[in-house]
Parts: sequence; C-alpha cells; structure tokens
Amino acid sequence: MIHMTNVSKVYSNGSAALADVTVTIEKGDFVFVVGPSGAGKSTFIKVLFREEQPTNGQILVNGRNVAEIKPADVPYLRRSLGIVFQDFRLLPNKTVYDNVAFAMEVIEAPRREILKRVNHVLDLVGLRDKARTLPTQLSGGEQQRVAIARAIVNNPVLVIADEPTGNLDPDTSWEIMQIFNRINKSGTTIVMVTHDKQMVDAMKKRVIAIEKGRIVRDQVKGVYGYED
Amino acid sequence: MKIRTLEYFIREALASLRNNGLMSIASVTTVSLSLLILGMFLILVLNLNNMASALESQVQITVYLQDNLNERQMREVGTQITKLPGVTQVNFLTKEDAMSRFKERLGEQQGLLTALGDTNPLPSSFEVKVDRPERVKPVAQAIGQFKGVENTRFGQEVVEHLFNLTKMVRIAGLILIVFLAFAALFIISNTIRITVFARRKEIGIMKYVGATDWFIRWPFLIEGMILGFSGALIAVLLLSKSYSLLIEQVHQSLAFLPLIPKYPFLDNISIVLLVVGTTIGALGSTISLKRFMKV
Repeated sequence: MIHMTNVSKVYSNGSAALADVTVTIEKGDFVFVVGPSGAGKSTFIKVLFREEQPTNGQILVNGRNVAEIKPADVPYLRRSLGIVFQDFRLLPNKTVYDNVAFAMEVIEAPRREILKRVNHVLDLVGLRDKARTLPTQLSGGEQQRVAIARAIVNNPVLVIADEPTGNLDPDTSWEIMQIFNRINKSGTTIVMVTHDKQMVDAMKKRVIAIEKGRIVRDQVKGVYGYED
Repeated sequence: MKIRTLEYFIREALASLRNNGLMSIASVTTVSLSLLILGMFLILVLNLNNMASALESQVQITVYLQDNLNERQMREVGTQITKLPGVTQVNFLTKEDAMSRFKERLGEQQGLLTALGDTNPLPSSFEVKVDRPERVKPVAQAIGQFKGVENTRFGQEVVEHLFNLTKMVRIAGLILIVFLAFAALFIISNTIRITVFARRKEIGIMKYVGATDWFIRWPFLIEGMILGFSGALIAVLLLSKSYSLLIEQVHQSLAFLPLIPKYPFLDNISIVLLVVGTTIGALGSTISLKRFMKV
C-alpha cells in the first residue's frame, strides 16, 4: 500500500522534517505514528496526500508515485484517500448529510449513488438519525464521526488521520477508535498520528515512532513508549 | 461538464453574490460606470468619423481673389478655372454678395458689423465644384498658382480638423478607458477575493476530498462574469436610451448633423460592451484566484 524509500523533506527555512525515511505499510495495516512534537509526524502523513512534496525519495501510495505526480493529478490521488483532522473541518452551514455528500459532489458522482453511499456511511458511524442536523448542534465526538463518514464515503483504500481524538475526552476517543477499527476490519489501511498513550497501548497495533525526522522504532503490536 | 455540475456552479455563484451584497453592488456600479464612459467615447469617436467622411464627399473649393483686380482680370481667372479637368461648376461671388451672406449668417448679431462702417473687408471669390472628392486637393492647388488668386480654401481643411479632433478624443478616451478598466478589474478582483477568503475553509476541504482546481474555480469565475455582465448591461441600457433621446433632439433642432442611425449601430456597441464587461469580470476573478487561492 505505502512504500517510502529514502524520503527526506527539508523546509525552505532549512529545517529537516524527514531524514532518509524508508518504510513499508501493507494493505489492511493499522498504524499509529507517534513521537514528540516537531519530530516530523505531521510531515510524514502530509507527504502521503501531497500536502507537502518531499525533497528527495520515492513514495508509492497504492502503486502511484506521490512524490512525482503532476499537480493536476493530485485531486485524483486524494479521491483514493480519506483524510481526518483533529479539528474535524466540517462546513458549519451544511447539514450532516450535505457535509458528507459534499465529498461526492465535488467529484461529480451520480446523485443516486450519493444518496446510497452517504446513508450507508452515516449508518456505519451511527449518525443516520442526525442527517438533517447542523454540525454546530453536535458534540465533538459526533462531529468527528461526521468527518470520518466524509473521509470514507468515496471508498478510499487508505485513511489518514491527524490526531483525530486530540480534542475529545477519553470515552469519546474510544468510540471514535472503535469506528476506525471497524473501517480497518473492512480492509481499509489506516495511518494515524496520535498523542493518545492509553489508546495506543490498548489497541495493540503497529507503532512507528519518529524522532528528529527519523524512524526510531517500528513495532508490531507496539506501545506508545513516551511519558506525556 | 455535467448539467448538474453547471447548476451547482451557478447556484454557488449566486449564493456568494447574495452574501457579498454590498461589494457586489459596488463592483457592478464600477463596471457600469467604466463601460458607460467607454461607450460614450465609442459613440463620440464613431460619429465624428462619420461626420468627417460625410463632409468629405460634399466639399467645394472657395477661391479668394486679390483685392486689386479689375473685372477683366477676374473674368480671366474664372475662365482659367473652368478649363481645369474635373471642374463641373464655377460661381462668382462679388464682395457685396459675400457681405450679404455674412450678414445672413450673423443673424441677430448683425449689429457687430456697424463697427466696420462703409468698408467691406471681404474679398470677391469663386465657388468651384468638382466631379470627384479626390480631385478637390489637386484642383485647389492648381488654382492657387493662378495670377490674381489670393488663396484657396476647401472643405478638406474642415475634414482634416475633424479627423484631428477625432484622434485627440480617441487618445483621451483610450487613456480614460484603460484607467477605468483597471479600476473595474481591481474592484471585481477584490470582491472575488472577499468571497475566496470567506470560503477558504470550504476550498481547503474541497481540495482534501479531491476536487479539481477547475471545479473549485468555476463558481468564482461565474460570479465575476455575472458582476461584469450586469455592469455592462446597465451601461448598455443607459447608453441606448440616451442615444435614442439625443437622435430625437438632433432631428428636431439640428437636422443637418449626420448622426449614425440607431440600428444596427447601438446593437454593435452593446455587444462590444457586454463582451468587454464579462471579460473584465472573468479576468478579475482569475487574478484573485491566482493570488489568494493558488488554484
């Protein structure tokens, strides 16, 4: 699914966020990316969906060399990915249904398809009954579930999540994590940056630790390994 | 592009126009003002050109004679003129004829002439007509060489004055128009920038879920084009109405003034203005999108 080979990223201010990173993530993997602040975790996932372009190296995502694709092809790369952020990034003036449908509308999916898929993913995250609600009327956990529904509505092969539980309390975080688990069980690869020690330790998934732009640890059924 | 997508673009553009109410009105006003002035200059320049060519086709040469000629010498000049190729008609005008014509032209202001007393400063002259407009200049030059001829004047000079005037109006108009076009461009791009800014979050999400740049751009382009087109439409309506009124007035009081008839003249001007307005709108949007959205 993901093959990074000798990937480096040096920002224009000279700071090196990634240094010679080589890693493989298989289809169906569930991977936590951990490490101290500023270690390069965010850059690690940003190069996957071409928010950042690496300075050196090759990144294959689902057979496509993300480091080299033309800017005009970036949208088509992203259609095969789902991205979830810490701050949800929902549109406040659109209903839950429209927020999710939005991801299909912008890629010009047929209306009937949209109706079917949106209802399906809203079932999956348990929010079908709140389809007509505005995000502002939802709790944080519910908003994140909407964002997850939006991320998976186009059937991505890979879901990338940047601290999806960073703004949520432990119980809610656990619910969110169970949703990710379900998505993963259906075969979707998940790469998640997190600072949630308890969660990582409890889930017993693969853990990649990054420090100063390098992978310092890569454990199957790993643990968080830092004291917050 | 699917019909449904086009609907989506137009819906988004209209919603954004509504949300930006005041800025939208300011943009439309600026565009219509700029295009109104552009249209006025177009109409002015084209009419001046039209007048110049109308005059050109009906010119005659006036030959002023020296004051000290006797009757025989004058007749001699007349005979010489008649013999020139292309001359179709020669009229003799005595000093007295010239004075009475002059008085006629002064109309109610004839009193001015009492200052002259009994003296008549006007020369005797010939009015010469030729068969083709392009003969005017060579014939006038030939007559100018004749003995006893003070000088010659022909409508060509008026025509040249008119053409010069047209040129000046055109240059002044061009400068003004370029300036106003930039003002219109600036305000439209500002309006779109505000829209882009208000919707930057939405644009960001669109990019994350895989919308193409063109999908993101279209609603803003359409918004700009609607602004430009609406401004142009207002300008076109105002211009058409005023030109029609002008023609009516001129026909009543200055019937000899050769104004260009309304149709198809106004239609052509309208098309030009609408195209220019819409283009300015699209261009203004593009500038903002390039600078503020990087799409």
